[in-house]
Amino acid sequence: MWLELALISIVFLGIVILGNNRLGTMIQLFALQSLVLSATPLLVYPGRHAVVMAIVTIILKVFLMPSLLFWAIRHVAIRREAQPLIGYGTTLLLGGFLMGVVFLISSNLDLPVQETSNLLVPSAFSMVMIGFLLLISRFQAITQVIGYLVMENGIFLFALLLLENTPLLVEMGILLDIFVAVLVMGIVVNHINQEFGSASTINLTNLKD
Amino acid sequence: MIFFLYSLAILSASSILIILTSRFRKISGGIFLISTGMGCVLALMSAVNVLVSRTAVEAQLNLRLPFGEFTIGLDPLGAFFLLAITVLFLLAGIYGYGYLKDHEQKNLSVHYALYQLAIISLMLVVTAKNAVLFLMAWEMVTLSSYFLIVFYDQEKAVRSAGYLFLIAAHAGTFCLWIMFLLMASHAGSTDFDQMALASFPLPLAGLVFVLGLAGFGVKPGFIPLHIWLPHAHPAAPSHVSAVLSGVMIKVGIYGLMRIIVIIKDFPQWCAAALLSIGMISGVGGVLYALGQHEIKKLLAYHSIENIGIITLGLGIGLWGQMDHNELAALIGYTGALLHIFNHAVFKGLLFLSAGSVIKAAHTGEIDRLGGLLKSLPWTGHLFLIGSLSICGLPFFNGFISEWLVFRALFEGMFHFKMNALIFSGLAVISLALIGGLAAACFAKAFGAIFLGNSRSTDLAHVKENSALMLAPMVVLAAICLWVGLSPGVMVSLALRAASTIASVEISPTMEGVIISPLLTVVLVLLVLMMVIMVLVLFKRIAMGIFPVEHAPTWGCGYSAPTSRMQYTASSFAEPVLRIFRNILGYAVKGGRPKGYFPKAGEISSHVTEASEVFLFRPIFQFIKFLTAQLKIIQYGYTQLYLLYIFIFLLALLIWKMV
Amino acid sequence: MGIRILLHISLVMIFSPLLLGIAGKTKAFFAGRRGPPLLQPYYDIGKLFRKGNVYSPTTTWIFQAAPIVSMAAVLVSSIVIPMGSIEAPLEFWGDVILFTGLYALARFFVVIAALDTGSSFEGMGASREAAFSCLAEIIVFLDFITLALLSQTFVLSEMIKGNILSSWQLFGPALLLAGASYFLVFLTENARIPVDDPATHLELTMIHEAMVLDHSGWDLAYILYGSAIKLFVLGALFVNILIPFHGLSVVMQTVFFWGGMMMLAVGLGIVESCMARLRLNRIPQLLISAFVLALVGLFVVLIKGV
Repeated sequence: MWLELALISIVFLGIVILGNNRLGTMIQLFALQSLVLSATPLLVYPGRHAVVMAIVTIILKVFLMPSLLFWAIRHVAIRREAQPLIGYGTTLLLGGFLMGVVFLISSNLDLPVQETSNLLVPSAFSMVMIGFLLLISRFQAITQVIGYLVMENGIFLFALLLLENTPLLVEMGILLDIFVAVLVMGIVVNHINQEFGSASTINLTNLKD
Repeated sequence: MIFFLYSLAILSASSILIILTSRFRKISGGIFLISTGMGCVLALMSAVNVLVSRTAVEAQLNLRLPFGEFTIGLDPLGAFFLLAITVLFLLAGIYGYGYLKDHEQKNLSVHYALYQLAIISLMLVVTAKNAVLFLMAWEMVTLSSYFLIVFYDQEKAVRSAGYLFLIAAHAGTFCLWIMFLLMASHAGSTDFDQMALASFPLPLAGLVFVLGLAGFGVKPGFIPLHIWLPHAHPAAPSHVSAVLSGVMIKVGIYGLMRIIVIIKDFPQWCAAALLSIGMISGVGGVLYALGQHEIKKLLAYHSIENIGIITLGLGIGLWGQMDHNELAALIGYTGALLHIFNHAVFKGLLFLSAGSVIKAAHTGEIDRLGGLLKSLPWTGHLFLIGSLSICGLPFFNGFISEWLVFRALFEGMFHFKMNALIFSGLAVISLALIGGLAAACFAKAFGAIFLGNSRSTDLAHVKENSALMLAPMVVLAAICLWVGLSPGVMVSLALRAASTIASVEISPTMEGVIISPLLTVVLVLLVLMMVIMVLVLFKRIAMGIFPVEHAPTWGCGYSAPTSRMQYTASSFAEPVLRIFRNILGYAVKGGRPKGYFPKAGEISSHVTEASEVFLFRPIFQFIKFLTAQLKIIQYGYTQLYLLYIFIFLLALLIWKMV
Repeated sequence: MGIRILLHISLVMIFSPLLLGIAGKTKAFFAGRRGPPLLQPYYDIGKLFRKGNVYSPTTTWIFQAAPIVSMAAVLVSSIVIPMGSIEAPLEFWGDVILFTGLYALARFFVVIAALDTGSSFEGMGASREAAFSCLAEIIVFLDFITLALLSQTFVLSEMIKGNILSSWQLFGPALLLAGASYFLVFLTENARIPVDDPATHLELTMIHEAMVLDHSGWDLAYILYGSAIKLFVLGALFVNILIPFHGLSVVMQTVFFWGGMMMLAVGLGIVESCMARLRLNRIPQLLISAFVLALVGLFVVLIKGV
């Protein structure tokens, strides 16, 4: 029951991130989502493996990455998202529709979910979908980074299914990968801002020629 | 049945008589009124007879028809439609007589004769038991409607609206011909009873259904086949708009129901298709209505919305029939049928009162009217009753039929499998959205026309219309109130027609299950009326004790307020349209005047009709382009055309020889 | 039956302004003030009952009828809601539809009364109210669909009473999501922050306050009373769904219900103190997110199998 509560809170926070347009709030919501996420391994397979996972996730995703992102946006003048590709209402509705598709697909897939809840796969998929939506429909670089991170949260949820079988090293490797990626992205955002005066990725089309 | 045949005879004879006495206006008008009255009342009596006794009657006339017999029969389904036809045509006819009475230029008797021809053809459509007779009557309906619509044919807009209607209707009839050909060739006869005995394989049933949707769907106005509706309704005189919207577009639904009676088994996707069409037409219709500035075009789009609601009921009824869920099937069909009747009544009322406004104020633009409730009290209050009914608010008949459709959808949700659940859930949400948007739209229409101050200066002299025009509207409003407060009679009549469609017998317990919650609803409404009366009583006593003053509306301190500062209908609809602007193509042009000493500014908002602009106009352009290529053979010389005929004749002769 | 209805209605009428008072006291506590007394709404309504009316010559009978119709409609809608151990006097299949229909009736009359005054402010409030209530209505229906699927019936009392306890155990997350979306609709319908500000009377940015600007005296009293009753009835529905207390003893049910209502009023005060009013073009987005939440709740119910 607690697992389902956690999964639903993750989905709820994902929806709130989707409908938001302030960068600071989105980073804080992501931190909160990662906090709930770090509790999920403990609810699925309590044990030493899960405790280590939880601690590492908290350190990386709740403290380090958000502070990295806050450092990146400190230099960026804009604290809000400009008008996205599709309006906020349409984005939310599209997110809801995609979640419906995801729920439909998940009930037809045949994954080993007996020990966990059958909400696990749909929530994981939904986070991936919401991450994709954010990546595609927003212009600000930071928002796209947050979209990527939300997608990573979804993949993390997926990995919970295989927790017993994945060695700890692989998990750590994945997390380190993400950390380095975010570090690089933060530096790149800074450089974009210095070059173009704004962190909107639409300026990157200037590099085409 | 005898009554029905008498009614047909009276109407046919009188239409000829009206033309003969066209010189004497008073006499032809009088003949029109009396004969319409007698014909409609007789037909009404036969319809009620069939419904109450639950038996079908039949008659056969010895007229020769190609490939078929002239058989007409009245079963509960047709009888229910006959109810709506007779009531509305009679009342709209009386109204029309008063509306057109002062119209000097035109020859009214031709119009009256065509009106009666329309009644006859509609009555034949719902009683035809033969495909050939059905198609002939269908064509007669189209032709008589066309001539009724183009009454004001000196205006170009009216003429093009008429052409559009004619083309659309005939495109539909083309599909109907193919459909009936298929059915007749499979069953070996054009008689409906014979067709009902033959069993149709599912793929054939599906093909027939698709052709039926295309053929029967033009008249009701399923989106995207609806583009003729918003042009034809404003173009026609108001009583014609009323019968067009109230009855003539419903015969398409009648056709679909008759197909369901004949072919009892359909593949599942047919019901899903009906539900989807209902949802799209319902929501699309009311959204487009919100963006309209002219009252009759607004009402035309609302007809599309209500057809959507009827189709929702029809769709869930069909799904229930396919799933052998009797309750869902019966309630769905009953809801659809009752909404057909209700819509005829309240849409007729709305169109007649809109016509009354147009006749008094000489314009239908909502943003030029205002404050008419004080100068046109009867029209205004009748329009209010029509608005309350169409929004599906309690006390009036719209609530009862929407309640029934909701109930059918929920029955579907409880008992069906997953995809039916999804469709029913979506349909419930669409129905709720339709209700909310319709309330917003009619608050806009009623408020902008009748309330507030008048927005243009030349409305000071309007006065109420004659009793001849008001009396039919009062009767329609009374029917709305009666069905809303005492739904038992109409619901049970609709239930009998529904059982014919579903081919299911209704037991008294089932009838009780369906009707008893509605009776509790009426009980709650009675309690509401009592609470209202108590509150009014308290207030009356208080107003006697405490002072009552009069002061102008608070204008926030503007020194020169004008009536143009109040909210217009377009500004009222703007928040809703802005939410849905992507679907509707809502655009606002113009805006604030610029500069320090600005000149006059203007602002206009409009909604693009997507089916017309993106679907049909390109298709017609393409057809025009293709046919333009054929202009090569046209040189304008008659000798050349004679040469073509000569060559063709030669070719035929040679071919016959070979 | 008539006596039960009368008792039910009187109970609602007596206790509804109390909720407003509790919310006001909570807001004052958060602001560090002593605040108005708990019974202040009663005093306000009583004061208005002792005043005369001012009518504009632009208005018609609709202007005077709207407050009466809206108060009567919400009062009568309380007949189908059970209050703790007190059963609803009337329960029948589809009473939910009548419930929403009565609210639609009340809203329609208030909207056209606002247009009746011929003032641009009322028109502004009326058009916004019409737009947002469309969205709110579909969310309510979506929540009712979720509840109906869980309890397999469409009688309001049975939806609430029937298997709420087992529903919470099996479908907790879905009910939480439905409850969250219903709470947002609750805020919208009662014109509370973050949708509308009931405290000030600035017409230019408000929805409900702008619509009733021209009412005075007894009309305003009816409007005020009507909104208090609306708060009470919609809150009673919320508490019934959220707290699974049916099946316990009569005393416990009463305690849980009235306690829940008090907590709801306190919660309302907290929400109002902690948030600011949203920009007007963010309100449809708020409602659409509530719609998506309710949708996800429905998906959860469907995927766990009904």
